[in-house]
Amino acid sequence: MIEILPPLLDALSYILVLILVALGLMIVFGMMGVINMAHGELFMVGAYVMVVCQSLGLPFLVGVLFSGILVGLLGLLIEAALIRHIYTRTLDTILATWGLSIALKQGIVLIFGPEAQSVISPLSDTVSLGEFSYPLYRLLLMGASIALIGLTFWLFLKTDFGLTARAVIARPDTAATLGINTRSLYRRSFVIGTTLAGIAGALVAPLISVDPQMGLGYLIPGFLSILVGGAGPLAGVLAGGAAVGGTNSLLTVWISPVAAQIAVFIMAILVIRLRPEGLLGGRRGK
Amino acid sequence: MLEISNLNAGYGEVTVLRNFSCRIETGQVTALMGRNGMGKTTLMKSIMGLIPVKSGTIHLNGIQINGKETYKISRAGIGYVPQGREVFEQFTVAENLRLAALGSSLSNLDRLPQIHDWFPILKERHDQKAGTFSGGQQQVLAIARALMTGPEILLLDEPTEGIQPNIVHEISLQLARIARETGLTILVVEQNVDMVRTMADHILFMENGQLADQCSAEELRSDETLIHRYLSI
Repeated sequence: MIEILPPLLDALSYILVLILVALGLMIVFGMMGVINMAHGELFMVGAYVMVVCQSLGLPFLVGVLFSGILVGLLGLLIEAALIRHIYTRTLDTILATWGLSIALKQGIVLIFGPEAQSVISPLSDTVSLGEFSYPLYRLLLMGASIALIGLTFWLFLKTDFGLTARAVIARPDTAATLGINTRSLYRRSFVIGTTLAGIAGALVAPLISVDPQMGLGYLIPGFLSILVGGAGPLAGVLAGGAAVGGTNSLLTVWISPVAAQIAVFIMAILVIRLRPEGLLGGRRGK
Repeated sequence: MLEISNLNAGYGEVTVLRNFSCRIETGQVTALMGRNGMGKTTLMKSIMGLIPVKSGTIHLNGIQINGKETYKISRAGIGYVPQGREVFEQFTVAENLRLAALGSSLSNLDRLPQIHDWFPILKERHDQKAGTFSGGQQQVLAIARALMTGPEILLLDEPTEGIQPNIVHEISLQLARIARETGLTILVVEQNVDMVRTMADHILFMENGQLADQCSAEELRSDETLIHRYLSI
Protein backbone atom coordinates (compact mmCIF):
# COMPACT_ATOMS: atom_id res chain seq x y z
CA MET A 1 0.00 0.00 0.00
CA ILE A 2 2.79 2.37 0.96
CA GLU A 3 4.41 2.06 -2.50
CA ILE A 4 1.48 3.93 -4.06
CA LEU A 5 2.18 6.96 -1.84
CA PRO A 6 5.08 8.57 -3.79
CA PRO A 7 3.22 8.53 -7.16
CA LEU A 8 0.09 9.81 -5.40
CA LEU A 9 2.08 12.68 -3.89
CA ASP A 10 3.70 13.38 -7.28
CA ALA A 11 0.25 13.47 -8.85
CA LEU A 12 -1.01 15.81 -6.13
CA SER A 13 1.87 18.26 -6.61
CA TYR A 14 1.29 18.24 -10.40
CA ILE A 15 -2.46 18.76 -9.89
CA LEU A 16 -1.87 21.72 -7.58
CA VAL A 17 0.54 23.48 -9.97
CA LEU A 18 -1.86 22.77 -12.85
CA ILE A 19 -4.72 24.32 -10.85
CA LEU A 20 -2.58 27.43 -10.24
CA VAL A 21 -1.95 27.77 -13.98
CA ALA A 22 -5.59 26.99 -14.89
CA LEU A 23 -6.91 29.45 -12.28
CA GLY A 24 -5.00 32.26 -13.98
CA LEU A 25 -6.36 31.17 -17.36
CA MET A 26 -9.90 30.89 -15.99
CA ILE A 27 -9.90 34.31 -14.33
CA VAL A 28 -8.87 35.93 -17.60
CA PHE A 29 -11.26 33.85 -19.74
CA GLY A 30 -14.21 33.88 -17.34
CA MET A 31 -14.09 37.60 -16.77
CA MET A 32 -12.95 39.02 -20.08
CA GLY A 33 -13.57 36.27 -22.61
CA VAL A 34 -9.86 36.38 -23.43
CA ILE A 35 -8.31 33.04 -24.35
CA ASN A 36 -4.73 33.74 -23.40
CA MET A 37 -2.51 31.48 -25.50
CA ALA A 38 0.53 33.22 -23.99
CA HIS A 39 -0.34 32.10 -20.47
CA GLY A 40 2.11 29.19 -20.72
CA GLU A 41 4.86 31.59 -21.76
CA LEU A 42 4.14 33.83 -18.76
CA PHE A 43 4.57 30.69 -16.64
CA MET A 44 7.87 30.12 -18.50
CA VAL A 45 9.02 33.72 -17.90
CA GLY A 46 8.38 33.17 -14.17
CA ALA A 47 10.73 30.18 -14.26
CA TYR A 48 13.41 32.18 -16.14
CA VAL A 49 13.18 35.03 -13.62
CA MET A 50 13.93 32.37 -11.00
CA VAL A 51 16.94 31.21 -13.07
CA VAL A 52 18.27 34.78 -13.14
CA CYS A 53 17.60 35.36 -9.43
CA GLN A 54 19.43 32.16 -8.53
CA SER A 55 22.38 33.05 -10.76
CA LEU A 56 22.56 36.39 -8.92
CA GLY A 57 22.70 34.50 -5.64
CA LEU A 58 19.36 35.79 -4.37
CA PRO A 59 17.41 33.66 -1.88
CA PHE A 60 14.77 31.33 -3.41
CA LEU A 61 11.88 33.15 -1.73
CA VAL A 62 13.06 36.47 -3.20
CA GLY A 63 13.13 34.74 -6.59
CA VAL A 64 9.52 33.62 -6.20
CA LEU A 65 8.54 37.13 -5.16
CA PHE A 66 10.38 38.72 -8.09
CA SER A 67 8.84 36.22 -10.51
CA GLY A 68 5.35 37.16 -9.35
CA ILE A 69 6.04 40.90 -9.47
CA LEU A 70 7.86 40.95 -12.82
CA VAL A 71 5.41 38.65 -14.59
CA GLY A 72 2.55 40.68 -13.06
CA LEU A 73 4.14 43.85 -14.49
CA LEU A 74 4.58 42.10 -17.81
CA GLY A 75 0.87 41.22 -17.62
CA LEU A 76 0.06 44.89 -16.99
CA LEU A 77 2.08 45.87 -20.06
CA ILE A 78 0.42 43.17 -22.21
CA GLU A 79 -3.04 44.26 -21.02
CA ALA A 80 -2.38 47.93 -21.75
CA ALA A 81 -0.68 47.37 -25.10
CA LEU A 82 -2.65 44.45 -26.52
CA ILE A 83 -5.49 42.86 -24.58
CA ARG A 84 -7.56 45.97 -23.82
CA HIS A 85 -8.03 46.56 -27.53
CA ILE A 86 -9.56 43.14 -28.14
CA TYR A 87 -11.77 42.47 -25.11
CA THR A 88 -14.87 40.41 -25.94
CA ARG A 89 -13.44 39.48 -29.38
CA THR A 90 -12.60 35.94 -28.30
CA LEU A 91 -11.30 34.68 -31.64
CA ASP A 92 -9.04 37.71 -32.04
CA THR A 93 -7.62 37.15 -28.57
CA ILE A 94 -6.50 33.66 -29.62
CA LEU A 95 -4.56 35.01 -32.60
CA ALA A 96 -3.11 37.99 -30.76
CA THR A 97 -1.97 36.04 -27.71
CA TRP A 98 -0.67 33.21 -29.89
CA GLY A 99 1.54 35.76 -31.64
CA LEU A 100 2.57 37.09 -28.26
CA SER A 101 3.49 33.58 -27.08
CA ILE A 102 5.80 33.14 -30.10
CA ALA A 103 7.40 36.55 -29.42
CA LEU A 104 7.96 35.70 -25.74
CA LYS A 105 9.50 32.31 -26.60
CA GLN A 106 11.82 33.83 -29.18
CA GLY A 107 12.74 36.62 -26.78
CA ILE A 108 13.81 33.99 -24.24
CA VAL A 109 15.78 32.11 -26.93
CA LEU A 110 17.58 35.36 -27.84
CA ILE A 111 18.51 36.08 -24.23
CA PHE A 112 19.15 32.59 -22.82
CA GLY A 113 19.57 30.41 -25.93
CA PRO A 114 17.44 27.38 -26.81
CA GLU A 115 19.11 25.03 -24.32
CA ALA A 116 17.48 24.08 -21.03
CA GLN A 117 18.42 25.86 -17.80
CA SER A 118 18.22 24.41 -14.35
CA VAL A 119 17.22 25.76 -10.97
CA ILE A 120 18.66 24.16 -7.86
CA SER A 121 16.08 23.12 -5.31
CA PRO A 122 16.31 25.29 -2.17
CA LEU A 123 15.68 22.19 -0.04
CA SER A 124 17.61 19.01 -0.73
CA ASP A 125 16.28 17.19 2.37
CA THR A 126 13.92 14.26 2.11
CA VAL A 127 11.14 13.00 4.33
CA SER A 128 10.84 9.30 5.20
CA LEU A 129 7.58 7.64 4.21
CA GLY A 130 8.05 4.09 5.48
CA GLU A 131 10.73 2.58 3.29
CA PHE A 132 10.54 5.48 0.80
CA SER A 133 11.98 8.91 1.07
CA TYR A 134 10.22 11.86 -0.51
CA PRO A 135 11.76 15.26 -1.43
CA LEU A 136 10.84 17.92 1.11
CA TYR A 137 10.69 20.59 -1.61
CA ARG A 138 7.80 18.81 -3.33
CA LEU A 139 5.84 18.90 -0.07
CA LEU A 140 6.70 22.59 0.29
CA LEU A 141 5.53 23.19 -3.29
CA MET A 142 2.21 21.53 -2.44
CA GLY A 143 1.81 23.67 0.66
CA ALA A 144 2.64 26.87 -1.25
CA SER A 145 0.26 25.93 -4.08
CA ILE A 146 -2.59 25.19 -1.64
CA ALA A 147 -1.94 28.54 0.07
CA LEU A 148 -1.99 30.41 -3.26
CA ILE A 149 -5.13 28.62 -4.45
CA GLY A 150 -6.78 29.36 -1.09
CA LEU A 151 -5.70 33.02 -1.34
CA THR A 152 -7.15 33.31 -4.84
CA PHE A 153 -10.46 31.76 -3.72
CA TRP A 154 -10.56 34.06 -0.71
CA LEU A 155 -9.87 37.08 -2.93
CA PHE A 156 -12.65 36.22 -5.37
CA LEU A 157 -15.21 34.80 -2.95
CA LYS A 158 -14.79 36.74 0.27
CA THR A 159 -13.61 40.27 -0.52
CA ASP A 160 -15.23 43.36 -2.01
CA PHE A 161 -12.87 43.07 -4.97
CA GLY A 162 -14.14 39.52 -5.53
CA LEU A 163 -17.78 40.65 -5.26
CA THR A 164 -17.30 43.28 -7.95
CA ALA A 165 -15.25 40.87 -10.09
CA ARG A 166 -17.97 38.19 -9.94
CA ALA A 167 -20.58 40.84 -10.75
CA VAL A 168 -18.61 41.89 -13.82
CA ILE A 169 -18.28 38.23 -14.90
CA ALA A 170 -22.06 37.73 -14.53
CA ARG A 171 -23.39 41.01 -15.97
CA PRO A 172 -20.73 43.49 -17.12
CA ASP A 173 -23.19 46.14 -18.36
CA THR A 174 -25.31 46.02 -15.22
CA ALA A 175 -22.18 46.26 -13.06
CA ALA A 176 -21.11 49.35 -15.02
CA THR A 177 -24.51 50.99 -14.46
CA LEU A 178 -23.83 50.68 -10.72
CA GLY A 179 -20.65 52.73 -11.11
CA ILE A 180 -18.19 49.83 -11.33
CA ASN A 181 -15.21 50.57 -13.56
CA THR A 182 -15.18 47.32 -15.51
CA ARG A 183 -12.04 48.20 -17.51
CA SER A 184 -10.01 48.76 -14.37
CA LEU A 185 -11.32 45.50 -12.94
CA TYR A 186 -10.37 43.63 -16.13
CA ARG A 187 -6.85 45.04 -15.88
CA ARG A 188 -6.42 44.10 -12.22
CA SER A 189 -7.78 40.61 -12.84
CA PHE A 190 -5.50 40.08 -15.82
CA VAL A 191 -2.53 41.08 -13.67
CA ILE A 192 -3.66 38.67 -10.92
CA GLY A 193 -3.92 35.85 -13.51
CA THR A 194 -0.45 36.52 -14.92
CA THR A 195 1.08 36.91 -11.46
CA LEU A 196 -0.25 33.46 -10.56
CA ALA A 197 1.37 32.04 -13.72
CA GLY A 198 4.69 33.71 -12.87
CA ILE A 199 4.72 32.38 -9.30
CA ALA A 200 3.74 28.89 -10.50
CA GLY A 201 6.62 28.95 -13.00
CA ALA A 202 9.09 29.98 -10.31
CA LEU A 203 7.86 27.36 -7.84
CA VAL A 204 7.99 24.50 -10.32
CA ALA A 205 11.38 25.55 -11.81
CA PRO A 206 13.52 23.32 -9.51
CA LEU A 207 11.52 20.24 -10.55
CA ILE A 208 11.56 20.53 -14.33
CA SER A 209 13.94 21.59 -17.05
CA VAL A 210 13.50 25.30 -17.71
CA ASP A 211 13.38 25.78 -21.48
CA PRO A 212 11.50 27.93 -24.01
CA GLN A 213 8.94 25.16 -24.68
CA MET A 214 8.01 24.47 -21.05
CA GLY A 215 4.87 26.63 -21.14
CA LEU A 216 3.07 24.37 -23.57
CA GLY A 217 3.31 21.44 -21.18
CA TYR A 218 1.06 23.32 -18.74
CA LEU A 219 -1.04 25.42 -21.13
CA ILE A 220 -2.78 22.50 -22.85
CA PRO A 221 -3.64 20.61 -19.63
CA GLY A 222 -4.66 23.99 -18.19
CA PHE A 223 -7.22 24.54 -20.95
CA LEU A 224 -8.37 20.92 -20.68
CA SER A 225 -8.92 21.42 -16.94
CA ILE A 226 -11.22 24.37 -17.63
CA LEU A 227 -13.15 22.43 -20.28
CA VAL A 228 -13.48 19.32 -18.16
CA GLY A 229 -14.29 21.18 -14.93
CA GLY A 230 -16.94 23.52 -16.30
CA ALA A 231 -19.53 25.24 -14.09
CA GLY A 232 -18.48 27.93 -11.63
CA PRO A 233 -15.40 29.78 -12.81
CA LEU A 234 -13.32 28.78 -9.80
CA ALA A 235 -14.72 25.51 -8.45
CA GLY A 236 -14.75 23.98 -11.94
CA VAL A 237 -10.99 24.51 -12.22
CA LEU A 238 -10.45 22.47 -9.06
CA ALA A 239 -12.45 19.53 -10.42
CA GLY A 240 -10.96 19.82 -13.91
CA GLY A 241 -7.38 20.20 -12.63
CA ALA A 242 -7.80 17.16 -10.38
CA ALA A 243 -9.26 15.04 -13.22
CA VAL A 244 -6.78 16.05 -15.92
CA GLY A 245 -3.68 16.34 -13.73
CA GLY A 246 -4.48 13.22 -11.72
CA THR A 247 -5.16 11.05 -14.78
CA ASN A 248 -2.02 12.25 -16.57
CA SER A 249 0.30 11.97 -13.59
CA LEU A 250 -0.91 8.60 -12.29
CA LEU A 251 -1.01 6.93 -15.72
CA THR A 252 2.59 7.98 -16.32
CA VAL A 253 3.56 5.57 -13.52
CA TRP A 254 2.41 2.58 -15.57
CA ILE A 255 2.43 3.68 -19.20
CA SER A 256 4.58 6.00 -21.33
CA PRO A 257 3.99 9.78 -20.99
CA VAL A 258 2.74 9.94 -24.61
CA ALA A 259 0.21 7.16 -24.00
CA ALA A 260 -0.85 8.90 -20.76
CA GLN A 261 -1.46 12.14 -22.66
CA ILE A 262 -3.54 10.29 -25.25
CA ALA A 263 -5.55 8.75 -22.39
CA VAL A 264 -6.11 12.23 -20.90
CA PHE A 265 -7.40 13.54 -24.23
CA ILE A 266 -9.75 10.55 -24.56
CA MET A 267 -10.95 11.15 -20.99
CA ALA A 268 -11.51 14.86 -21.77
CA ILE A 269 -13.43 14.04 -24.97
CA LEU A 270 -15.62 11.56 -23.07
CA VAL A 271 -16.35 14.05 -20.30
CA ILE A 272 -17.18 16.82 -22.75
CA ARG A 273 -19.34 14.42 -24.82
CA LEU A 274 -21.27 13.06 -21.83
CA ARG A 275 -21.31 16.24 -19.76
CA PRO A 276 -21.00 19.20 -22.15
CA GLU A 277 -21.19 21.66 -19.27
CA GLY A 278 -18.23 19.99 -17.53
CA LEU A 279 -17.94 17.81 -14.44
CA LEU A 280 -19.64 20.35 -12.18
CA GLY A 281 -22.07 21.63 -14.80
CA GLY A 282 -24.39 18.65 -15.10
CA ARG A 283 -26.01 17.49 -18.31
CA ARG A 284 -27.25 20.04 -20.79
CA GLY A 285 -31.04 20.25 -20.78
CA LYS A 286 -32.86 18.58 -23.63
CA MET B 1 -32.21 68.51 -15.05
CA LEU B 2 -31.66 66.00 -17.83
CA GLU B 3 -31.70 67.56 -21.26
CA ILE B 4 -31.59 65.53 -24.44
CA SER B 5 -31.09 67.34 -27.75
CA ASN B 6 -31.38 65.99 -31.29
CA LEU B 7 -30.32 62.52 -30.22
CA ASN B 8 -29.64 59.91 -32.88
CA ALA B 9 -28.75 56.45 -31.67
CA GLY B 10 -29.28 52.80 -32.54
CA TYR B 11 -27.66 49.46 -33.10
CA GLY B 12 -24.98 49.17 -35.77
CA GLU B 13 -26.31 50.65 -39.01
CA VAL B 14 -29.87 50.82 -37.68
CA THR B 15 -30.90 54.19 -36.29
CA VAL B 16 -33.68 53.90 -33.70
CA LEU B 17 -33.72 57.35 -32.12
CA ARG B 18 -34.18 60.12 -34.69
CA ASN B 19 -33.48 63.64 -33.49
CA PHE B 20 -35.07 62.86 -30.14
CA SER B 21 -35.23 65.86 -27.81
CA CYS B 22 -36.76 66.29 -24.38
CA ARG B 23 -36.21 67.82 -20.92
CA ILE B 24 -36.67 65.91 -17.71
CA GLU B 25 -37.34 68.49 -15.01
CA THR B 26 -35.69 68.11 -11.61
CA GLY B 27 -37.93 66.69 -8.90
CA GLN B 28 -40.58 65.48 -11.33
CA VAL B 29 -41.69 61.98 -12.15
CA THR B 30 -41.78 61.74 -15.93
CA ALA B 31 -43.27 58.76 -17.71
CA LEU B 32 -42.22 57.82 -21.23
CA MET B 33 -44.90 55.89 -23.07
CA GLY B 34 -45.16 54.33 -26.48
CA ARG B 35 -45.74 51.05 -28.25
CA ASN B 36 -43.10 48.32 -28.43
CA GLY B 37 -40.20 49.05 -30.76
CA MET B 38 -40.58 52.83 -30.63
CA GLY B 39 -37.14 53.35 -29.07
CA LYS B 40 -37.87 53.73 -25.34
CA THR B 41 -35.29 51.19 -24.15
CA THR B 42 -32.80 52.49 -26.73
CA LEU B 43 -33.18 55.93 -25.19
CA MET B 44 -32.52 54.57 -21.70
CA LYS B 45 -29.45 52.67 -22.89
CA SER B 46 -28.19 55.74 -24.76
CA ILE B 47 -28.48 57.86 -21.62
CA MET B 48 -26.50 55.21 -19.68
CA GLY B 49 -23.82 54.98 -22.36
CA LEU B 50 -24.63 51.32 -23.03
CA ILE B 51 -25.04 52.00 -26.73
CA PRO B 52 -23.14 54.70 -28.63
CA VAL B 53 -24.79 57.98 -29.52
CA LYS B 54 -24.42 58.78 -33.23
CA SER B 55 -25.16 62.49 -32.86
CA GLY B 56 -26.86 64.89 -30.50
CA THR B 57 -26.20 65.59 -26.84
CA ILE B 58 -27.31 64.51 -23.37
CA HIS B 59 -26.68 66.95 -20.53
CA LEU B 60 -27.12 66.31 -16.82
CA ASN B 61 -27.27 69.58 -14.89
CA GLY B 62 -25.49 71.32 -17.74
CA ILE B 63 -22.68 68.77 -18.01
CA GLN B 64 -22.47 66.71 -21.17
CA ILE B 65 -22.59 63.00 -20.35
CA ASN B 66 -22.91 61.36 -23.75
CA GLY B 67 -19.58 59.84 -24.84
CA LYS B 68 -18.63 59.10 -21.23
CA GLU B 69 -18.19 55.54 -20.01
CA THR B 70 -21.21 53.97 -18.31
CA TYR B 71 -19.65 53.85 -14.85
CA LYS B 72 -18.88 57.59 -15.05
CA ILE B 73 -22.48 58.34 -16.08
CA SER B 74 -23.67 56.31 -13.09
CA ARG B 75 -21.29 58.17 -10.77
CA ALA B 76 -22.47 61.49 -12.26
CA GLY B 77 -25.80 60.74 -10.55
CA ILE B 78 -27.93 58.55 -12.80
CA GLY B 79 -29.39 55.38 -11.29
CA TYR B 80 -30.66 52.74 -13.70
CA VAL B 81 -33.14 49.91 -13.26
CA PRO B 82 -32.86 47.89 -16.48
CA GLN B 83 -35.63 46.07 -18.28
CA GLY B 84 -35.80 42.52 -16.91
CA ARG B 85 -34.36 43.70 -13.56
CA GLU B 86 -30.97 42.02 -14.01
CA VAL B 87 -30.32 41.41 -10.33
CA PHE B 88 -27.32 39.22 -9.54
CA GLU B 89 -29.13 35.95 -8.88
CA GLN B 90 -26.18 34.22 -7.23
CA PHE B 91 -25.66 37.08 -4.77
CA THR B 92 -27.63 37.66 -1.61
CA VAL B 93 -29.80 40.74 -1.18
CA ALA B 94 -27.09 42.27 1.03
CA GLU B 95 -24.41 41.60 -1.60
CA ASN B 96 -26.54 43.12 -4.38
CA LEU B 97 -26.95 46.28 -2.33
CA ARG B 98 -23.31 46.36 -1.19
CA LEU B 99 -22.22 46.09 -4.81
CA ALA B 100 -24.04 49.33 -5.62
CA ALA B 101 -22.22 51.09 -2.77
CA LEU B 102 -18.88 49.65 -3.92
CA GLY B 103 -19.50 51.02 -7.41
CA SER B 104 -20.60 54.47 -6.32
CA SER B 105 -19.18 55.27 -2.89
CA LEU B 106 -18.80 53.20 0.26
CA SER B 107 -20.39 56.07 2.19
CA ASN B 108 -23.62 55.13 0.41
CA LEU B 109 -23.80 52.15 2.78
CA ASP B 110 -25.26 54.74 5.18
CA ARG B 111 -28.34 54.72 2.96
CA LEU B 112 -29.09 51.12 3.94
CA PRO B 113 -31.42 51.91 6.91
CA GLN B 114 -33.42 54.24 4.66
CA ILE B 115 -33.60 51.58 1.93
CA HIS B 116 -34.77 49.03 4.52
CA ASP B 117 -37.40 51.49 5.71
CA TRP B 118 -38.74 51.88 2.17
CA PHE B 119 -38.51 48.18 1.35
CA PRO B 120 -38.75 46.15 4.61
CA ILE B 121 -38.66 42.82 2.74
CA LEU B 122 -35.03 43.49 1.85
CA LYS B 123 -34.14 43.72 5.55
CA GLU B 124 -36.07 40.56 6.39
CA ARG B 125 -34.36 38.61 3.60
CA HIS B 126 -30.98 40.26 3.42
CA ASP B 127 -29.14 36.90 3.44
CA GLN B 128 -31.42 35.30 0.83
CA LYS B 129 -30.13 34.77 -2.70
CA ALA B 130 -31.73 37.13 -5.20
CA GLY B 131 -32.35 34.24 -7.60
CA THR B 132 -34.88 32.75 -5.17
CA PHE B 133 -37.00 35.93 -5.24
CA SER B 134 -40.22 36.33 -7.21
CA GLY B 135 -40.27 38.76 -10.13
CA GLY B 136 -41.84 41.50 -7.99
CA GLN B 137 -39.32 41.04 -5.20
CA GLN B 138 -36.46 41.13 -7.72
CA GLN B 139 -37.86 44.38 -9.08
CA VAL B 140 -37.91 45.87 -5.59
CA LEU B 141 -34.29 44.78 -5.15
CA ALA B 142 -33.28 46.26 -8.52
CA ILE B 143 -34.89 49.59 -7.55
CA ALA B 144 -33.26 49.53 -4.11
CA ARG B 145 -29.90 48.69 -5.67
CA ALA B 146 -30.14 51.69 -8.00
CA LEU B 147 -31.17 53.92 -5.07
CA MET B 148 -28.10 52.70 -3.12
CA THR B 149 -25.90 54.54 -5.64
CA GLY B 150 -27.41 57.80 -4.37
CA PRO B 151 -28.74 59.00 -7.73
CA GLU B 152 -30.09 62.44 -8.58
CA ILE B 153 -32.21 60.90 -11.29
CA LEU B 154 -33.56 57.37 -11.48
CA LEU B 155 -34.25 55.70 -14.82
CA LEU B 156 -36.67 52.76 -14.74
CA ASP B 157 -37.19 50.65 -17.83
CA GLU B 158 -40.58 48.88 -17.75
CA PRO B 159 -40.53 48.10 -14.03
CA THR B 160 -43.95 46.41 -14.13
CA GLU B 161 -43.14 43.93 -16.90
CA GLY B 162 -44.08 40.41 -15.80
CA ILE B 163 -45.17 41.44 -12.31
CA GLN B 164 -48.47 40.77 -10.49
CA PRO B 165 -50.86 43.76 -10.57
CA ASN B 166 -51.03 44.13 -6.75
CA ILE B 167 -47.20 44.31 -6.56
CA VAL B 168 -47.19 46.83 -9.42
CA HIS B 169 -49.49 49.08 -7.42
CA GLU B 170 -47.30 48.74 -4.30
CA ILE B 171 -44.16 49.60 -6.24
CA SER B 172 -45.87 52.61 -7.84
CA LEU B 173 -46.98 53.95 -4.47
CA GLN B 174 -43.54 53.42 -2.95
CA LEU B 175 -41.75 55.13 -5.84
CA ALA B 176 -44.19 58.05 -5.65
CA ARG B 177 -43.50 58.30 -1.90
CA ILE B 178 -39.73 58.23 -2.41
CA ALA B 179 -39.93 60.92 -5.10
CA ARG B 180 -42.13 63.07 -2.84
CA GLU B 181 -39.96 62.62 0.26
CA THR B 182 -36.55 63.00 -1.34
CA GLY B 183 -37.19 65.15 -4.40
CA LEU B 184 -35.72 62.40 -6.57
CA THR B 185 -36.17 62.91 -10.29
CA ILE B 186 -37.60 59.84 -12.03
CA LEU B 187 -37.85 58.92 -15.69
CA VAL B 188 -39.90 55.76 -16.09
CA VAL B 189 -40.53 53.89 -19.32
CA GLU B 190 -43.88 52.26 -18.83
CA GLN B 191 -46.84 50.85 -20.72
CA ASN B 192 -48.91 50.23 -17.60
CA VAL B 193 -51.39 53.12 -17.59
CA ASP B 194 -52.37 52.56 -13.95
CA MET B 195 -48.79 52.93 -12.79
CA VAL B 196 -48.31 56.09 -14.85
CA ARG B 197 -51.52 57.55 -13.40
CA THR B 198 -50.39 56.67 -9.86
CA MET B 199 -46.98 58.25 -9.94
CA ALA B 200 -46.26 60.46 -12.97
CA ASP B 201 -46.34 64.28 -13.03
CA HIS B 202 -45.58 64.54 -16.70
CA ILE B 203 -45.98 62.12 -19.61
CA LEU B 204 -43.99 61.94 -22.84
CA PHE B 205 -45.20 59.92 -25.82
CA MET B 206 -42.73 58.39 -28.19
CA GLU B 207 -43.27 57.21 -31.72
CA ASN B 208 -40.74 55.99 -34.30
CA GLY B 209 -37.78 57.20 -32.27
CA GLN B 210 -39.14 60.73 -31.84
CA LEU B 211 -40.96 62.66 -29.16
CA ALA B 212 -44.49 62.68 -30.55
CA ASP B 213 -46.43 64.43 -27.80
CA GLN B 214 -46.51 65.26 -24.11
CA CYS B 215 -49.01 66.15 -21.44
CA SER B 216 -49.43 66.65 -17.71
CA ALA B 217 -50.90 64.03 -15.37
CA GLU B 218 -54.13 66.05 -15.08
CA GLU B 219 -54.51 66.19 -18.84
CA LEU B 220 -53.99 62.43 -19.04
CA ARG B 221 -56.69 61.80 -16.42
CA SER B 222 -59.24 64.01 -18.16
CA ASP B 223 -58.49 62.99 -21.73
CA GLU B 224 -57.51 59.53 -22.83
CA THR B 225 -57.08 60.43 -26.50
CA LEU B 226 -53.28 60.40 -26.28
CA ILE B 227 -53.25 56.96 -24.62
CA HIS B 228 -55.47 55.59 -27.41
CA ARG B 229 -53.36 57.19 -30.10
CA TYR B 230 -49.90 56.21 -28.90
CA LEU B 231 -50.54 52.93 -27.10
CA SER B 232 -53.41 51.65 -29.28
CA ILE B 233 -55.53 50.70 -26.25
